[in-house]
Amino acid sequence: MIIQILINGVLLGGIYGLIGLGFSLVWGVTNLINLAHGSLVILGAYATFWIFHFLHIDPFISIPLVMVALFIVGYLMQRYIFNLAIKADVFLTLIMTFGMDVLLAQLMIVMWSADWRSIATTYQGKSFIIGQYLFPYTRVLGFVAALILTILTAIFLNRTKTGQSIRAVALDMMAARLMGVNPGKTYAITFGIGTALAGAAGSLISVIQSFNPAVGGGITLRAFVVAILGGLGSVEGAFLGGIILGIIETFSAFYLGESFKNVVTFTLFVIILVTRPRGLLGKKYYG
Amino acid sequence: MKKHIIPLIFLVILIIIPPFLSGYMLRILTAVVMFATLTEAINIIAGYAGYPAFGNVVFFGMGAYVTAILMNHGFGFYLTLIPSIVTAVLFAVVIGFPVLRLRGHYFAIASLGVNVAVMEIVNNLKIAGAAEGLTLPLKKGANPHVVYTYFYYLFLVVLVLSVIFTIWLEKNRFGFGLRAIRVDEDGALAMGINTPLYKTLAWSYSAVFTALVGSIYAYWISYIDPETVFDPIISVKMFVMMLIGGASTVYGPLIGAVLLELIAEVVWSKFVNIHGIVLGAIIILTVILIPKGFLDLFTGGFSWRRLVQNIKENMI
Repeated sequence: MIIQILINGVLLGGIYGLIGLGFSLVWGVTNLINLAHGSLVILGAYATFWIFHFLHIDPFISIPLVMVALFIVGYLMQRYIFNLAIKADVFLTLIMTFGMDVLLAQLMIVMWSADWRSIATTYQGKSFIIGQYLFPYTRVLGFVAALILTILTAIFLNRTKTGQSIRAVALDMMAARLMGVNPGKTYAITFGIGTALAGAAGSLISVIQSFNPAVGGGITLRAFVVAILGGLGSVEGAFLGGIILGIIETFSAFYLGESFKNVVTFTLFVIILVTRPRGLLGKKYYG
Repeated sequence: MKKHIIPLIFLVILIIIPPFLSGYMLRILTAVVMFATLTEAINIIAGYAGYPAFGNVVFFGMGAYVTAILMNHGFGFYLTLIPSIVTAVLFAVVIGFPVLRLRGHYFAIASLGVNVAVMEIVNNLKIAGAAEGLTLPLKKGANPHVVYTYFYYLFLVVLVLSVIFTIWLEKNRFGFGLRAIRVDEDGALAMGINTPLYKTLAWSYSAVFTALVGSIYAYWISYIDPETVFDPIISVKMFVMMLIGGASTVYGPLIGAVLLELIAEVVWSKFVNIHGIVLGAIIILTVILIPKGFLDLFTGGFSWRRLVQNIKENMI
């Protein structure tokens, strides 16, 4: 039984990792704690939902499409809104992104109502069995997709010119500027990537659970926990943080009951913040 | 003394106005007074000491719950106020000791984490009615208007107390210490200010007023549940009000509370469906255009250039 719970936890944790990755990338590079992250994840879930509904494209195949759309949203949001106040005090930028969260959540309710939505694929609810352990298809596919996207993000940051300019800005903005990097654009690209990753996480969430605009807040808080658990420094950290959170949540839901899951998660969050504010694997930013 | 004259005139108006108001107008004015106090309270820790207590609403919820639980066990309303304050202060001290060591981002999100953790715990507490919430005994009175006027005056008393406290703070060694912490904490420590003590005291004072407002709120509304009284959006509203009015000033928070609550009320009544969109847009625009507050924008005459200047300072 314990092993089955562990498997469920790890599979869920992959998606949490992806949620946390976009969040911690934006935080680490632009110093912006994006409280609208959860709403952007839900926006991705809706995009997937409508693509499935109207074009009948499988949620896993539509991920690239959703990511491109969300990248554009994120790029514009940072370039023309958040960049205008990026150097302000911490609590100002926090409030600003919270304002964006309130705005987005309400916008989605106005456009698509507060009804619960879910995507019913043909393979939903089916699973395969290895030994005596159960592996639901949607969860395994979700985990694999999250893992692939995490690896791709790591490669992008380390191997491409744009990725290196992002890391340069994170390490030393002045030096990066002197080397001809445009920080405003780089911030916008970083936020765009964070949003695209949020969108992909939204696609995965839309397959494994039902959603509506109101669940964004809980997702943002989980992104926080993942980012803090893994530390802000690295792509691997975020993924590992996600896995740890997934395991903690499934275990506490099993042993203490579903409603105590959040108590454990957020108590742990505060304890880690106080004892190890840089996270379990933390290092300085994405440099 | 001179700068307190206009506020005193306003106070007199606030005291004599209730009989002339309709029930609806009285409700709005009560909400304004309530938020003004909450903002005045958050101003102590976030404005003067510069510690962005993003989860300050936790004390509001605590006050509300202490009052609700005790009144359900037969205590009179006024008897619940002391336990409400004591709980809030104890919590601020115990949690503040570790959490107030964090700075900037980390303090902000840790206090938010504390808020959410407490909300989830209350969600599972049998004595607090768990997720269903609690109802409180109704206040008996000759007619609704008298009852609501009573609550209005209760809120007003706490508001006046919090303003007097802040005026005292402005001129006091303690207040100077807090401002020193905001500007340069290490410097303040080097100058011999006991920064951990000052910060904890500041948060405790903030907690006292916030919890008192929470207690009155619970009795006023007579039904509370965790999702409402621990709602982070209340903290955010306090912050935005403080911002609009001007942080670390005595009267700024009051101006902010009046402006935002009135705007919110107009938006609520005219565009119920999109109130969140308008509120979100107001918050974003406030941060971008008037990060130093409304008063700053108009001191020395309004100019468009000042707006542009504000953006230029913080943009990349």
